[in-house]
Formats: sequence, C-alpha cells, structure tokens
Amino acid sequence: MRGKFLKVAVAATATAMLATACGTGSGDGGSDAGGTLRVYASEPAFLLPSNGNDEPSLYVIRQLYRGLVKYNAETGAAENDLAESIESDDQKLWTIKLKDGYTFDNGEPVDADSFIRSWNYAAYGPNAQNNGYFMKRIAGVDDVTSKDPDGDGPEKAPAPKAETMSGLKKVDDLTFTVELSEPFTGFPTTVGYVGFFPMAEACLDDVDACNETPIGNGPYKIDGVWERDVEINLVRSDSWQGEPGKPDAINYRIFADVDSGYAAFQAGELDVMYTLPPARFKDAKASYGDRLFEQAGDSFNYVGLPLYNENFQDKRVRQAFSLAIDRQSIVDAVFDGRYAPATGFVAPSFQGAREGVCTYCEKDIEKAKALLAEAGGWKGDKLVLWANAGASHEAWLQAVGDQIKAALGIDYELKVNLQFPEYLETADNEKFTGPFRLGWGPDYPYLETYLAPVYGTGADSNHATFSNAEFDSLIKQGDSAATIDEAIAFYQQAEDILAEELPVIPMFWRKEAAIYSENVDTFVWNQVDGADYGATSLK
Amino acid sequence: MGRYVIRRLLQFIPTVLGTMFLLHYMTSLAIQFSGNPVRALFGDRTPPPALLQAVTERLGYGDPCLEQKGNPCFGLFLDRVSGVFLHFDFGINMRRQEVTDLVANALPFTLKLLLIAIVFEAAVGIAAGVWAGLRGGSFADNLVKISTVFVISVPIFVLGVVVREFVGVKFGNILRDQEWIPDVIAYGFFSPGFKPDYPFASLLIPGMVLGSVALATTARLTRTSIMENIRADFVRTARAKGLANKRVIGVHTLRNSLIPVITYLGVDIGSAMAGAVVTETIFNVPGIGRLVTQAARTGESPVIIGVVTMLVLVILLVNLLVDLLYAVLDPRIRYE
Repeated sequence: MRGKFLKVAVAATATAMLATACGTGSGDGGSDAGGTLRVYASEPAFLLPSNGNDEPSLYVIRQLYRGLVKYNAETGAAENDLAESIESDDQKLWTIKLKDGYTFDNGEPVDADSFIRSWNYAAYGPNAQNNGYFMKRIAGVDDVTSKDPDGDGPEKAPAPKAETMSGLKKVDDLTFTVELSEPFTGFPTTVGYVGFFPMAEACLDDVDACNETPIGNGPYKIDGVWERDVEINLVRSDSWQGEPGKPDAINYRIFADVDSGYAAFQAGELDVMYTLPPARFKDAKASYGDRLFEQAGDSFNYVGLPLYNENFQDKRVRQAFSLAIDRQSIVDAVFDGRYAPATGFVAPSFQGAREGVCTYCEKDIEKAKALLAEAGGWKGDKLVLWANAGASHEAWLQAVGDQIKAALGIDYELKVNLQFPEYLETADNEKFTGPFRLGWGPDYPYLETYLAPVYGTGADSNHATFSNAEFDSLIKQGDSAATIDEAIAFYQQAEDILAEELPVIPMFWRKEAAIYSENVDTFVWNQVDGADYGATSLK
Repeated sequence: MGRYVIRRLLQFIPTVLGTMFLLHYMTSLAIQFSGNPVRALFGDRTPPPALLQAVTERLGYGDPCLEQKGNPCFGLFLDRVSGVFLHFDFGINMRRQEVTDLVANALPFTLKLLLIAIVFEAAVGIAAGVWAGLRGGSFADNLVKISTVFVISVPIFVLGVVVREFVGVKFGNILRDQEWIPDVIAYGFFSPGFKPDYPFASLLIPGMVLGSVALATTARLTRTSIMENIRADFVRTARAKGLANKRVIGVHTLRNSLIPVITYLGVDIGSAMAGAVVTETIFNVPGIGRLVTQAARTGESPVIIGVVTMLVLVILLVNLLVDLLYAVLDPRIRYE
C-alpha cells in the first residue's frame, strides 16, 4: 500500500511501519494485511446509539455497536446477528432470544438487560434522545413521555408517569419479550437500526462519557478519544465474537465541507468517500470511472399536494399534474444524472418494490389535458410551488412549473424563501397553498416505512393530509399478516391506491455515489446501511 | 499610562454587552422569523410533540418569547449574560457540547493559523515594502506594485480554492509521486487541507493564503511610508551627520515608517479572524472560523453569541496593545 499509514497502523504492525518508513511499499504486502481504512466523514452529532440519527453518526456507531439483526449487503434482508431468534405468534408479543457469549468492550455481557436498558433510555422523554421516535410501537411508550400542559408556556412538563416501558419484559438473561401496541409483522426488520442497539450498564451510569468514549459491543472499538472535528480512530475489538472486521483500523477524517473532503481524496489522503460534492459528480465519474460506485438510493423526493386545499381535492387534477412532468429530462438537465426518476412510492432496492406502479408518472400531455378538462379545469389562481430556501431546490422546481405551464397552461410562481425550520413548521401546520417539495427516507428496510408514516390517516409525516379508509385497512392487514411475504401483498395493494390517488407526485430517487481509492481491494456497499467499512478490504 | 489603560478596560464593558445584545437580538429574530431550529434536526420526520418539546427545552430554545416576532427577549438576554459572567456558562450547541469546550478545542488551531498568517505577512510584506520603497521606480518597485495589485484583487475564497486545487491537489500529487521528497513536504506542507498527522506543516499553506491579502496591503503601506520618510528632514540630518546607511535606514527611516504598518497589522488581526472563517472552511481547519460558519448555518444562537463575544474581546485587547505600542515606537506619543 502506497502512501501514509496512520499512527495507529504504524504502531500496530512493525512490518507495516518498516514498509512505509522505507517508502517502498507498493501494495504487494499480501491481501491478508488489514491496514488502516481512511474514510471521509462529517462530524457526528452523537456516538450514543439512542441519540445518533444523522448519517455521520450512524457510519461510526455501526462499527462500534451491533444489534439484534444485521442487513444482507446484497438484498437488504434482515438476518439474525446477536439474536438467536425473534418470534411471535400474534405479531404483537415478540420473544427475542440472544446468542450467548457476546460482551461489551468493558467485559459486561450483552444480555436481555442491555437491550431493555437502551430502549428504555431512548424512549424516556426527559432524556430527549433523538431515536426515541423509533420506540413508538412499543407498548407503554406514552407513559414514559409527557406533554407540556400549556403547549410551550412557562409551565414545565410534568415528569412522565413511568420510567420504563411496560412492553419490555425480561424472561431470563438471554431472553426478553417485546409487546407492541399494535401487531407489526415487520418488527424484526426494524431492530437492526442503530436506535435499537444495546447499551452497557457502565454507559448508563455516565452517558456523556459514553458518548465521547463509547463502550461498544461491535467489531471495532474506539482508539483514544473522539477528537472533535478532527478525526475518530477505531481499531479491531478483541471482545467481538462474530466475523471480524477486514481492516485493522478505521480512520474517520472529519470534514466540515464536502469539497475539502473531495480535495483530500484527490490528494490520496482518503480511501473511501461515501458521498460526492454535486458539482464534482461528472468530474469524479470521468477520473475514477470503475472506482465510482453508483446506484439508485432510497431517499424519495416528491411534490406533495395539499389535499386540505379544495383545488387539489379532485384526483384527476393531481393525475394531470403528474402526467405533465417529464422526470427524466429534469434529471438530465438539472442534476447531471444524479437522480433516478421515480415510478413508484417504494425504493427500488426494497423487497416488494415494483417498477412502474405509478402509471401517471410518465409524461403524457394529451392525457393530462383530457383529465384536467374532465375535472372541470383548473379553478385556482396562480399555482404556488413551495420549497425551502438555500437547498438548491429552485432549479428543478422551476422546471416542474414550466412543464406544468407548457402542458396545462397554468401559470405558476415559486415560493422558495422559507428557511428549513419555518418550512417544516408550515408543513406541520398545513399552511401550504400549493404543491410542496419534501422528501422521505426509510426508517427500516421494510416497505411499510414508505407507506404508513407518510400516507396513513393522521400519520405524523402525512403532510398531504391524505386519508383513505381502504389504504389504512390494507396497511393494518399487512401489519398483522402472518409472514412478511403475505404482508408485502397487502402493502403492494396499498401502494396501488396511492398510484391512483396520487396524494403526492413521485419525482426522483437520489442516487448514492461513493468513490474509493486504488488501495481498496473490495468495496462493500450495504443496501440498507450504505458503505460498510468493516467489510471493505484493502490491498 | 495606568489610568489610560484602566479607562480603556472600562470601555470594554459597554462594548461587550452591546455586542452580546445585538447578537442575541439578531439570533432571536432569526428564530422568531424562520422557526424553531430544533424542528429542522428531525427533517422530513415529524417528531412527536412531546419529543420535540423535550429536545427544544434541553437545547435552550424553549423560551416562549422566541415565538413572538420582534420581541427582544430581555429575560432570555439577562439569563444569558448572567450565565456567561456569573457562572462562565456559555450554553450548549445542538450536539449538547459546551460552547466553552468547543472554543477550547478550536482555539489552538486558529491561533496557530493566525500566527502563521501574521508572521508571513509581516516578514514578507515589510521586506518587500522596504525593497520597493528604497528603489522607487525601479524594476523591484514595479514588481511589488503589480504583484500586490494582483493579490489584492483576488478575493480570498477564490484564492483559497485555487491554491487548494492547484497547489494542494495537482502539484502536490506530482510531488507525492516522487520518492525522494520528504513526507513532511509532500504529504504535510502540500496537503490540500489540514491533516492531523502533520498538524503544523499542513497549516502553513492555509496560513499563507489567509495572510496574503494583508501581505499586499502591508507591502504597499511600508513602501509609501518609506518613500515619504526617506525624504524627511530628520533622515537628511542623519545622513548629514555621517551616520552609516544601515543606521539611517534601520533606525531613522524604518522605525518611523512602521507606525502605520503596525496599526494596520493590529487592525488586521480582526479581519484575519474574519478571513479565517473562509480559509478554515476551504482547508478544513477545525478552528474558530469553521465553528462560526457551521453555527451560523444551523442557527445555533449560543455558539454564535459565545464565540463572537470572545472574538470581540480578542479584538479589543489587540487594539489596546497596538495603541500602547505606538508609544514604544514614537516617543512623542504619550498617554495621560
């Protein structure tokens, strides 16, 4: 391996030290050499599983900790990791058995308590943990959070009724049961998310220290401390009983700005960069060709329609809008091909996703005109297209407006001056006066995550305020189906309803793009988790 | 002198309080008009109200006055001021880190960067200015004049990016392919940004970029000042006395010429701090500038207030030092 090894590797292997010190290292040191994988990173928000929900945090936590299940790199299917079995007869009461012999880095066993402790800590309202959101299916979650009696007023929220969720019960050291408030067949697929990872008892005693110097149970452990804004070094953990990580060490170099990260990659200082600056995408494709990994990702971009506005209540109007848009031309013209047009509501890489579900997502101006005429024409004034400011949504939204204007003769204006917090508050308060851009990413690799939270009646993120009894009932049937395959059939029927009703106009899937250096032997991209550093081997 | 210093120090108090209030008012207005920044943390996922509230409260954005547009939030300001001055508590950022810790982590990098910039601009700038000023109209003079105009007219964010791309990446990659060049040069000095392995060498180029604009001004200022003084009566007298040329230039001309330059360098520490915001972001230096940029992007009021207040204090202190330095350079100046 040419170039600079980091301190860690140098200290770890004397041979590597000699090789680099002589400056002769040329990569023929053998493929068994682990080496140090140097990766691009942004500053993580938190390294505590119950609190880290942003991409940079997840990339580090996933190597430090492991959960009940892991996701297959190729298919994204959930496979037992620390769990021996996760079973249920009624999809509501789940019994989880753990494999024996796993420990945290400090020697504590990874037992039923460690999971219960972590989930309760995440859910308990006053702890204000970002991943508390993911505990919402567990019975008793309402008792561990409390609402402020006067909204945001001077009175403080009272302490919650309970400190632990009634749905979590320990059976023995390696077995516990989880009772959900509603049946959910997909539950085992959700627990591979970072928010469900276990927590050591020593960690609970001093959560802040554990955030800085994590006590993990995964294939890697932190080397030294988290050097804020500079770097994080991980080394292979001896206490890990599973399949060991490929590199000896992982060095996360922290960048505040993706352009400076790209410059470091160009200068050979990084081995993997999981994201690219949009403006350099073409350049990267030209210079790194076969070392650029690209695939349609799972972040969904849509144009929502405010169904609380009478002009959008006729589904034919919504269909006409969708038919007027040529997605591929926008992708080519505005995004340099960094997005893929959406033809459905579920990410193409997900189990149960189908191509071409949305028959109104292909440009067909004649049909659009006919549908709009059938609906009695456009009754509103100027169409107002909404997006948040400062995130470069103007260009593509303008293209959408132009296409609608060209096809249907409806004049439009852009409303793109709201900052993100205010924009989201506008969404939460249902104040949009026209089509609005928003996105959605999956919480877990199960297609339900694209359906119920966004289109279910009264769901938190249902910004279109879509409400359809048949859709709700299909989701419910899917949730309580006996197997995942049966459930998928129900969810697909529910997706068909969306394709007909179009509460939102599907636009694009963002493409994931990663580049890796010549030092990398095999680069592994996990369908669910993204770049898998622990599985990526160096030459 | 002592009374003068005390008077100046007392003047710091209203300045600092005024700055803090302005910052407080501006960041509060930003929240009042553009919404709760905590909501943006959750993005597309609408958090349950109880969770949103708990996090908002925890991060210090729970004061109800932050929802009333235009309200100057005096209560919150008093809390903040008393927190800062009575408990040395500057609050926390969105990641629940103490602002004092953030500054403590970032400050060494910025100080190193500033030191490199100031030394670079003072040494090279004054040397070039003297060289040009003593030979007015010569080739040296024209060279300095043209090159400084060139540097002044390129904004620092352009210069930074160009240097990073062409010196750090392109030229650096050529050097890194040569085996005989020491690593500290190929991988450290010519790194396209700050590198933890070479904490000093990799800061040199960012420091030079930061110092470059002020370097040009320093050179021009020294040049004019030297040209002016070299014709002054006291220099002629010194020459007439038969003093050595070295002494005439070094003591009589240069020392008097440096007064405006020193003022400029002092004031420049303030603008170099502002320049660090750009340079640190381009070269990925984890210093104060990058911290402020990020805080401004996400609207983290405690960080902005805390860091900018500290910057204001630094600038005030430096200005005071510069004023005191006048007296050292020019005995005619006295402070009563």
